[in-house]
Amino acid sequence: MSWPVAIQELIEEFQDIDEQFERLEVLMEFSEEVEELPVESWNNHNLVKGCQSIAHIEIEMVEGKVWMKAAADVKMVQGLQGILSIAVNGSTPEEVLELTPEFAEEAGILNSLTPSRSNGFRTMFDMVQRNVREAM
Amino acid sequence: MKQDFPIFSRLVNGKPLVYLDNAATTQKPSCVIDAMSEFYSVSNANVHRAVHTLAGEATEGYEKCRKLLKQRYNAEYAVITSGTTEAINLVAHAWGKHNLSSGDVIVLTEMEHHSDIVPWQMLAEKSAIEIRYVPVTDGKLDMDAFEVALEDAKLVCVVHTSNVLGVRNPVEDIISLSKAVGAKVLLDAAQAVPHELIDFRELGADFMAFSAHKMCGPTGIGALLISNDAFSEMEPFMGGGDMIDTVTLEGSTYQTNEHKFEAGTPRIAEGVGWAAALEWISNVDLEAHHARLLSIASDVAEQLKNRGMAVYSSLGPGDAAVVSFNHPTIHPEDFARLLDAQGVAVRTGHHCAQPLMDKLGVSGTIRASFYLYNDASDAEVFLSGVDRVLEAMA
Repeated sequence: MSWPVAIQELIEEFQDIDEQFERLEVLMEFSEEVEELPVESWNNHNLVKGCQSIAHIEIEMVEGKVWMKAAADVKMVQGLQGILSIAVNGSTPEEVLELTPEFAEEAGILNSLTPSRSNGFRTMFDMVQRNVREAM
Repeated sequence: MKQDFPIFSRLVNGKPLVYLDNAATTQKPSCVIDAMSEFYSVSNANVHRAVHTLAGEATEGYEKCRKLLKQRYNAEYAVITSGTTEAINLVAHAWGKHNLSSGDVIVLTEMEHHSDIVPWQMLAEKSAIEIRYVPVTDGKLDMDAFEVALEDAKLVCVVHTSNVLGVRNPVEDIISLSKAVGAKVLLDAAQAVPHELIDFRELGADFMAFSAHKMCGPTGIGALLISNDAFSEMEPFMGGGDMIDTVTLEGSTYQTNEHKFEAGTPRIAEGVGWAAALEWISNVDLEAHHARLLSIASDVAEQLKNRGMAVYSSLGPGDAAVVSFNHPTIHPEDFARLLDAQGVAVRTGHHCAQPLMDKLGVSGTIRASFYLYNDASDAEVFLSGVDRVLEAMA
């Protein structure tokens, strides 16, 4: 499957890593890609439901493009949010709705997590698409 | 000992497995795995009634588990359950519902596992029973507060050894004080029986609940030991096959032994597996291993403190080899995943003891719990894994 350039680069970066510890380190580095949703903006609407830990995601439309703000207490969840940000930020709503979460699987990111956490990624992905759809 | 456990021949994330989640469940020796496999391959049948050969072998295999439990723990009655949780729920339904009523008092503690809190809250809601919680101070039960809480108590439910702190409660004192006011005593011994051999009759509790899987036996099976006195006050909880004596359209009569609390087809293969585990563990010097593991865990706790970690475990004589800790800034889940990446399995979360977490002022901890097959080299791998995590997260 062909992915947008930013996602393709992300997949290749993860595929080059052999060691699980290093893969998780890189995942955590992606937390820097998140535009932080400040605590005072956390609410029930932007809470990621069903996530094991605290996670919030908010979608904004700026000049017709999607922008994501997020926060989480677990660094690796922040990393997953960073990866989602790379996948969606600056895209049109239509482009975001065409995406599937399989890119994370292809990169081997989800395989490196437990089922509950990889389900959490899919939950966050679905939430982003749902919010984009609502904002259209 | 690791050679008895096939799981240790596998790699986790390319590294040899260092399993330190034993307070959650223990690994199984080959003899347990083989016994269950052989049962299904050779003797599988339902128990207790059919007259054919396989049924006889299945009954013998399953009842051997009960016989070994009664012998090992010196118990009058051993009801086989799905585990500690079902055993405690059985007491709530089969004894509590028939012996407790509005205004009666149940004494619990702040360090109980959810399985020794929720069944009593459910019972209390329906019957207006008062629940008193004995506080935990500096990681130990406040025994002065316990004595105060005992006034007019009908039932005392206490965890023998905490799954979070590893602390062994003064159960001998708890039982004698409770008996003095005429209260029945239930011990949650899930974390105790893996570490010490308990003489149930001599100890003098009325109920003792525990699970097979925390002592190298299969999952899905556990036991409730019951004193003569308490057994006579219990009524059947679940109705169905196996627990009856006669059934007519007008009514039924029940078995008089433990079977009256074991409706339906029991966990036969698991019983066979647990019997194998009980035989295996009877050849293990628990006391010597316990002292060895406590020394390893105490050393690990010190090393963690030296690295800036908050350690919540007690680790005194008699306590379980459990080290609960937190880093001041690294989230327990990140910590545990980075350890897992190095082949080290630890537990994170509230450990089904949220009231105790509230008391400790944390939402969860990282827990490394040691068991018979763990050795000093596991502790070394764990600590060097911790160092790598600290380096990566610095």
